[in-house]
Amino acid sequence: MRVLDWKVRGFRLVDLVALGLLIVLMLGVYLAKTLAGRERGEIARVEKQISQERQRVRLLEAEVAHLEAPARIERLSVDYLGMAPPVAAREIAPQALAEHAVEEPPKRKETTP
Amino acid sequence: MSSEPLGYDAPPRWGWIASPMWAIEQAYGRARNKDAAVDHARVRIFFVLAIFFAAFAFLAFGATRAALFSDAGDRGAYKPLYDTARADLVDRNGRLLAADLLHYGLYVDPREIWNADEIRKALRTELPQIEAHRLERALAGKKRAYVLGSLTPAVRNRVNALGLPGVTFEPEEHRAYPLGATAAHVIGFADPAGVGLAGAERAFNDEIRARSDSGKPVALSIDLRIQGALEDELERAAIKHQVKGAVGIVTNVQTGEILGLASYPDFDPNDPGASSADAQVNRAGSTVFEMGSTFKAFTVAAGLDAGVATPQSRFDATKPFKLGYRTIHDYHAARKVLTLVEVFQHSSNIGTAKLGVALGPERLRHYFDVLGLTKPAKVELVESARPLTPKVWNEDAVASTSFGHGINVTPLALSRAMGALLNGGRTIPLTLLKRDPGYRPDGVQALSPQTSQQMLYMMRANVTGGSGGSADAPGLRVGGKTGTGEKYDPSIRGYSHSKQVSSFAAVFPTSGAPSDTRYFVLILMDEPKPTKDTYGYSTGGWTAAPAAGRTIDRIAPFLGVARDMTPFDPFASPETAKVEDGR
Repeated sequence: MRVLDWKVRGFRLVDLVALGLLIVLMLGVYLAKTLAGRERGEIARVEKQISQERQRVRLLEAEVAHLEAPARIERLSVDYLGMAPPVAAREIAPQALAEHAVEEPPKRKETTP
Repeated sequence: MSSEPLGYDAPPRWGWIASPMWAIEQAYGRARNKDAAVDHARVRIFFVLAIFFAAFAFLAFGATRAALFSDAGDRGAYKPLYDTARADLVDRNGRLLAADLLHYGLYVDPREIWNADEIRKALRTELPQIEAHRLERALAGKKRAYVLGSLTPAVRNRVNALGLPGVTFEPEEHRAYPLGATAAHVIGFADPAGVGLAGAERAFNDEIRARSDSGKPVALSIDLRIQGALEDELERAAIKHQVKGAVGIVTNVQTGEILGLASYPDFDPNDPGASSADAQVNRAGSTVFEMGSTFKAFTVAAGLDAGVATPQSRFDATKPFKLGYRTIHDYHAARKVLTLVEVFQHSSNIGTAKLGVALGPERLRHYFDVLGLTKPAKVELVESARPLTPKVWNEDAVASTSFGHGINVTPLALSRAMGALLNGGRTIPLTLLKRDPGYRPDGVQALSPQTSQQMLYMMRANVTGGSGGSADAPGLRVGGKTGTGEKYDPSIRGYSHSKQVSSFAAVFPTSGAPSDTRYFVLILMDEPKPTKDTYGYSTGGWTAAPAAGRTIDRIAPFLGVARDMTPFDPFASPETAKVEDGR
């Protein structure tokens, strides 16, 4: 008996297999589209969130730039901290620090006789 | 199955498909012989199933491919929403100067409003800046209308919280300048349509717009730390001397990069309309001045380069110099024979005019040409103005221009020409764009490196023993030339003795080879007033030089210029005593 002639409860096996494959494929397409749609929705949500975060970051960057504006920092440091540009005599290069370091002589412990 | 003979002579390479097809044909043939009607229906069902199978296989493949290999979410870089988008502007260290930020536009739809008075009252209370006529027109209209733009997210949230019907918002990009007035003339500003109107925003408009897609900023040459110190010192001096205007410029003479540029008064580019037109003028590039004695540096350099004089050449300044119908005097007459170094230190008009005459009109003009003083300053700013130069270059023009009269140039043009005197003799373009380390632009060899070296020494000598003493900063080997030009007053049809342009053109460090990296600093004040501590003087040495010295003192650490306390005074002699007037 040929394979194509095999029957199950009056239905040819080849037709049943083809129908099963078709159902699997339909289900596959449905699932793929559904999952893809869900993923797209998730991606869109994350993208929107990224965009909003980027906007927030840019706003914060602009705010930082505003807060760090030289004129503002200088005004605050003068008004509240009494600071001023250092004079040349108070500047020292890192490599010259050793020359200016004053070594304190070790203190002697005074002992009573 | 394969042992059965085929019904036709198929080529051997098609045997793998021909055999099963032939077997199917035979199977249907046998079935047809048994029950033909049933088999016809089965064949149809089989083919329908096969077609559906193929169609769904194709769809499954497409759907899987779309799900697995879609480019959704693959847009990592921020992409502005609108065509008006502009890239960020940053300083040379990447600090933000200008950026497009998300703002909101307010719209009113009268079709959704049933109580216009309530909306009017609420909006005008919350947004006092709203234009009344625009709001009225929107409320009286028949469709949704734009009312107000550039609203921050915080303001939008505040208005949204009122729950006003018919009031909605749309996102829009808005150019913001977070530093306010800092570096306003360098940065400039752009209009709401995203077109640069002034400063770097206009100069690099195309590049800024092109880069908005990539998200890469445009890096300017300025250093915000230097800019801040320069603006602070300039403003302090400007307020002290109650000037009409002032300019400060810091450049790298080897690269032409502008590290700081300030024009006083300034303005806020976030709202340029709130400032006067005068405040928006970039005096560094768009205003020409008669610089006065600062120009003597060019005449002296030309004399040295042409071989007409050496630093020790002597000039008789014992009496005024008559040239044609003019008699040239020294502001503070030394009344003695001066070496060229002393002419420079005493800022002697007589000595400089005599050097100019020795050079002759043609040669002096040639040097002014190659130094770029007879053309607009080569820099990206469109504000760069044309100079006013003598129509005829004769002896009279020589007499005037040799010490900075009869020729008006912009501070940027002066800075560019001074750079050539101090960088080995190359006239190079100035730039507002950050350049790579080691960058050396193409330029015109206007002077010999030897002349440049001599000018460095002369300018140092002018600070250690001349009119620029108040610009000295400990250990930074500052050199410079003072300048005081009387302004032409149309009301008296002549030069005013009370209205002056005072300046100081400084360089540091003057030590090292001409090709070494060094920096030029210009401080210029328009109509400064004398103060008690300047003993009634308002000349460059008393007004601009101290500001230049303080600026150099503050910016040197940012530029990596170390202090060197080694004495440096190659031309020191008893005759080069410090002059008192500072002219």
